[in-house]
Amino acid sequence: MNTTPWLKRRILVTVGTGGVGKTTVSAAMGLEAARRGRRVLVLTIDPARRLADALGIKLDHKPRSIPRKVLSAAGLELRGTLHAMMLDTKQTFDELVERYSTDREALERILANPIYQNLTDALAGSREYSAMEKLHQLHSTGDYDLIVVDTPPSGHALEFLDAPRRLTAFLQSDLLKVLFRPALAMGRTGFRLFRFGSATVLRVVEKITGLGFLTAISDFLLAFESMLDGFTARARETEVLLRDPACGFVLVVGPDPGQARRAEDFWARLQREEIHLLGLVVNRVRTWPVSGPVPELGDARIMGLTERLGKELAKRDPPFDGENAARSLVGMLAQQASLARRDARTCARLEQSLSLTPEAVRRIPLFSEDVHAVEGLQRMASHLFAEEEDA
Amino acid sequence: MNKGLAALCERRLLIVTGKGGTGKTTVAAALGLLTAREGIDTVVIELGETAVLPRLLSDDPIALEADGGREPVPLAPHLFTLRIVPEVALIEYLELQLHIRRIVGVVIRNQGFRRLLDAAPGWRALITLGKLWYLQSRMERGRPRWPLLIVDGPSTGHGISFLSVPNVVLETVRLGPLRRHTDRVQVLLKDPARTLVLPVTLAEELPVNETFELCARIRELGMALGPVIANAVEPAPDLPDLEPVLAEIGQLALSSSDSAILDPGLIRKCAENRLRRSSLQHGFLEDLARGCSQDVLQLPYQVQAIEGPGSLAPLAEQLEAALTARATK
Repeated sequence: MNTTPWLKRRILVTVGTGGVGKTTVSAAMGLEAARRGRRVLVLTIDPARRLADALGIKLDHKPRSIPRKVLSAAGLELRGTLHAMMLDTKQTFDELVERYSTDREALERILANPIYQNLTDALAGSREYSAMEKLHQLHSTGDYDLIVVDTPPSGHALEFLDAPRRLTAFLQSDLLKVLFRPALAMGRTGFRLFRFGSATVLRVVEKITGLGFLTAISDFLLAFESMLDGFTARARETEVLLRDPACGFVLVVGPDPGQARRAEDFWARLQREEIHLLGLVVNRVRTWPVSGPVPELGDARIMGLTERLGKELAKRDPPFDGENAARSLVGMLAQQASLARRDARTCARLEQSLSLTPEAVRRIPLFSEDVHAVEGLQRMASHLFAEEEDA
Repeated sequence: MNKGLAALCERRLLIVTGKGGTGKTTVAAALGLLTAREGIDTVVIELGETAVLPRLLSDDPIALEADGGREPVPLAPHLFTLRIVPEVALIEYLELQLHIRRIVGVVIRNQGFRRLLDAAPGWRALITLGKLWYLQSRMERGRPRWPLLIVDGPSTGHGISFLSVPNVVLETVRLGPLRRHTDRVQVLLKDPARTLVLPVTLAEELPVNETFELCARIRELGMALGPVIANAVEPAPDLPDLEPVLAEIGQLALSSSDSAILDPGLIRKCAENRLRRSSLQHGFLEDLARGCSQDVLQLPYQVQAIEGPGSLAPLAEQLEAALTARATK
């Protein structure tokens, strides 16, 4: 485990399953780094409108600067700068296609292809690929000291690391050369797909799909083939960048026991990737509202407390429904205590099972205020970086 | 049966979708428990790489072993599950089309065909939708064999491209069986009397925003939306008028161990947190109701982790109650 402070990296990548608050955690990390004097860009994939509103910007495909007056209104002075942008997969792909297509005709052919137009999202790893592509692009400009990347949520680990590999693997030029030939050369559907198989198989498949579908797929793949060298080179560079020590990964998880299990699995896979894992953010941890240990409130204790409190309250003058009041108050405390204990157990379990130092497991309590206001992000950051020196 | 539930039971295909982490799977499973209890043969269908539903819906170890086949697996009276594996569905489809198993074997084993499958985007979604159509078309003694399919669908982004694959095929293919079959799938998806999309969301910013987008895209696709399900809503705490009670508690003679818990300061903090969270969520729920112009059902936060039929049952009860409330509104 690398102990360099998180905020000293050039790139911070947050990963995790959906719905754990990656985007907000990314924003809080970016805000804190900017407060400490760095030029920061937060690259998100979520339509975080409320966050954008709170920061006084329009979140779109261009880096937007967070106006200082929004921050100073919240009592925050940045020594550095803060930009944010939202990734648009289709647009990133269009840019890529434009950059790497070898000729005008190939460019127009792919942009007009119905499969490209509609299924860019469905293409294996395309969202992840474009996130990494954008990161690479922005990193090379040198405009930022730190880029925080909020990756697409993935059920399995590392789709974004696999994406360049997967995409280029299926665009492998020798494979495609075997499979497809330009339509003119074939005179028919353009298929060399079954060069090694029997012509019968092609006839059989065509009988079901009709000619149009196979042609569209063949056009789509052929158009990509012309760009393959560009794509592959770029994918290789991105991989190098992601494995550089200047790039750190942070896994964001929720505190539920089920999430902990997934986090362990996710972590194990991350470890195999030879990337720099900085640690874990456990978000929305339920806490006990006062300091000290969380009391153990078993059923018997809850019943006893409710009964005693109810009796006492019923004695008061003027009388009121002490029993009900006691039940709801003790019930509320008991629920809070049980959730706080459960979440503390989950955090301890993760620390142990992943052999992490306490410093590498950073807990953010569940806030009862809107975390998307600047103050909320600041509070979040203060929990994240309490131990990290402001140098 | 309550009207809200009945309205869902009349459909043939319910597609549960939403942002990752909103609880789509448990909602789909809970809905399955309810419809099966009404005596409707229900298949709860999952599309992931590992089976999750059997464990959620059954304690029977034998049921847990069947996975990824062609036929729905019985789990409980009227309750079935199936994990659709595109590769399995493709072989089934080819067998139905080509009639001769041996030819299917030749096609499937053909190198070129395998490479085409590796490279072609969208076929998994298409064959999965085709399998759904096929299941709902099966008849037995003059009646649908599978009157209700509940699909634990892909999450929003993938869900949209999943559901738009038939459009792409219809745009590119003019003739032939694939065109005809995709047409049938499309007719099923766009038929509001048969198919509903049920978005699941949370009372939080990003899930709510994503739901707006999801609803808009589903409408663009010409599909009908059912109620939006806001999951894991923290119920507004049912508290007495706090200040007088706390004043009273402050004056009580309690044992020291009791007074550590029944401490007015602690209770106030705890209650304030709860009230603030609940009003924060309430705000997001209002945004949701305004922004997606659909009915919104609320499911309360489950303190207990949902890991099997025992812990799923309370969620099902609450879903039923929410559906009843919607119908009587």
